Amino acid sequence: MTEVIARRGYRGPSDDDAIEAIHTELDALWDDASFVPEMDRMTFTTAVIESAANIVQHAQPVGEKPVEIDVDITVQPTRLVARVSAHNAREPFAEDMQADLPDEEAESGRGLALIEMLVTTVTFERQDGTNTWILTRET
Amino acid sequence: MQFSYEVRDTYAEVKGVGRLNMVAAPKLREVVAEVVAGGSSRVVVNLAETDFMDSSGLGALIGCLKAARQAGGDLRISGVQPQVKMVLELTNMDRVLTAYSSAEEAFGND
Repeated sequence: MTEVIARRGYRGPSDDDAIEAIHTELDALWDDASFVPEMDRMTFTTAVIESAANIVQHAQPVGEKPVEIDVDITVQPTRLVARVSAHNAREPFAEDMQADLPDEEAESGRGLALIEMLVTTVTFERQDGTNTWILTRET
Repeated sequence: MQFSYEVRDTYAEVKGVGRLNMVAAPKLREVVAEVVAGGSSRVVVNLAETDFMDSSGLGALIGCLKAARQAGGDLRISGVQPQVKMVLELTNMDRVLTAYSSAEEAFGND
């Protein structure tokens, strides 16, 4: 079984407050795991916030219940892992999964490209109305 | 995130303290729109105390740059911190959003 050195999470409504709360959890995680190099903290924090923002901005509820965001971040001996989930959410549209950088004038559409540059692997899972992006970064 | 601005002789300085994320991005657009509408189209966004920026924040800066240029001016950034520098470089936007070490220097030679 994989050893978990530090873990932080957040679950709540998919809104602006969630973004700030998740960022606060990430800061606390790095305090808990102070051995994680600054470059890894910076890149992983950016990737997790981009993924969470993607949910807050784009996730649509599948039924009457609002979308809930759920983030679980673990520090393991040689990797960082984040599971960023949208509960009660529709399957994302193909254009929300676009990972190429847009042209210089564009004011949006860089989030997924950025995530892919910042982490080692990005995996998407969908199960029972939950979309989950699993981000890993080897450290 | 907190924004403030100060209109100087040849430019206006907009200062942002905190995280320039999807929550703060619309506020930055509002502040810069107000500054430009007030007659200052040469804008420096001082990011010395902005320790984080995501793609929404970057999108807002690009929108503000376009607004300043449409008004006949320009938008430059100063005091860029490591995480913001990383996002600018990875997205190749460091070529579009010119970074200066200080707000004074940004329009210093114009």
